[in-house]
Amino acid sequence: MRVNFVLSEVATGLRRNLTMTVAMVLTTAISLGLMGTGLLIAGMISDMKEIYYDKVQVSVFLADDVTDQQRSAIEQELAGSPEVAGYIYESKDEAYARFQQQFSQQPELVQNTPADALPESFRVELVNPERYEVIAAAFPNGQDGVDQVRDEGDFLDRLFSLLNGARNATIAVAVVQALAALLLISNTIQLAAFNRRNETSIMRLVGASRWYTQLPFILEAALAGLIGALLAIGGLVVTKLLFVDKTLAGPIRAGIIPPVDWGAIAFISPVIAAAGVGLAGIAAYVTLRLYVRL
Amino acid sequence: MIELQHVTKLYPASSRPALDDVSTEIDKGEFVFLIGSSGSGKSTLLRLLLKEDDPTRGTVVVNGKTLNTMSKWQVPKLRRTIGCVFQDFRLLRNRTVAQNVAFALEVINKPQRTIKRVVPEVLEMVGLEGKGNRLPGELSGGEQQRVAIARAFVNRPLVLLADEPTGNLDPETSEGIMLLLERINRTGTTVVMATHDYHIVDSMRRRVIELNGGALTRDQSRGVYGVGR
Repeated sequence: MRVNFVLSEVATGLRRNLTMTVAMVLTTAISLGLMGTGLLIAGMISDMKEIYYDKVQVSVFLADDVTDQQRSAIEQELAGSPEVAGYIYESKDEAYARFQQQFSQQPELVQNTPADALPESFRVELVNPERYEVIAAAFPNGQDGVDQVRDEGDFLDRLFSLLNGARNATIAVAVVQALAALLLISNTIQLAAFNRRNETSIMRLVGASRWYTQLPFILEAALAGLIGALLAIGGLVVTKLLFVDKTLAGPIRAGIIPPVDWGAIAFISPVIAAAGVGLAGIAAYVTLRLYVRL
Repeated sequence: MIELQHVTKLYPASSRPALDDVSTEIDKGEFVFLIGSSGSGKSTLLRLLLKEDDPTRGTVVVNGKTLNTMSKWQVPKLRRTIGCVFQDFRLLRNRTVAQNVAFALEVINKPQRTIKRVVPEVLEMVGLEGKGNRLPGELSGGEQQRVAIARAFVNRPLVLLADEPTGNLDPETSEGIMLLLERINRTGTTVVMATHDYHIVDSMRRRVIELNGGALTRDQSRGVYGVGR
């Protein structure tokens, strides 16, 4: 196969349908960008699960009027319980410091919160995270200096179902966009084949192989897919630099949200590129097979 | 070389067959005129020989290959042994004469070396030496048809199919084209030419196959176009 012949055909084809090519590249880019975002959120969710589920499963918040005796009784019980893998004590001051750090991006909230508003607590890690009820039963709410026992896992489950929802929505939109992109690719290829029907009919007459006739069109679509993928990757990089690293800087530093690191982007980039090139190429091939006589 | 056995071609849109039980044989090196009024089935017959279409019934054999049983991916190979010329030339307007001829070799993967050697040779043969860098639009109709013939012949096909190659040309120019086709025929290439041009048919006295409403009504060696003309 004569490479420069095929490549010049590809370049001519893309230039001739410039507006269609741009539309094709942009929809592909948006679709792949959303797909990448979905993958990054998925990675983030699993990172967050590690951060949170490892740390805390149950919080035992102490009442404001807890006595020293009650506090040490609770601590002893925790230390002696076979269900408890470990625990840490957080004083009012520590709770406030953590609160300040977590909400450093919202200074009004921090200012309007009195330093002693946050309760002291025991943060308990369970041997089996599912056994929350055992701890809840051992420390009835409002008794013996306990204000309330909260299953942080329950809260986290809700948080993660929210994040999972965000991921699924992103991927759903990506799929719809991908459909639009595929239809555009199919249209562009039909148009390109029509524009070059002279060349292709002569090719057929002189006995050019099917591949020789079809390859320029498939490469054309694949190239558009690749450009779309590169734009999508560029978009993810820009999103990381301008949104994740700047706007979410506070929560990331506080350890609430895991950072999106370059490794994650480097990891999904080839996936995006392969998806872009592969889907576009397959769409073109199927179009040529079904709608175009070459 | 070319063999048709009881070939019938029906098109779904038409109740009348385009070809109706046609049987004939054309030997290697023959020059055959295919005549008949418009719609008599000449073009359909040429399409079947190229496997652009399949017959509804009957067998078509070209260059020793039965086209009915040939798979799709073998078709390009078949077409490399057949040259084609049309009334409307079918040249690439944005490529030069030499590029048009070279195109036929490029797309079947001939080495650049061969192309560089063969293209000027064939251009000289068809009488277009020195015009390789012209665009088709700058040439006369006769010269454009010579380019098309050069392209069809550059690969040294066993068979040359010509569908009314002189249909758009004046009588003198047509004569030049016919001389060229005769010359190609003398190299051993079988030439099948569909035509309406009775001057040409009558003056050349070659084999004549006449189709009428899809049926073969006359097959005559050293024939003329028709009685009463």
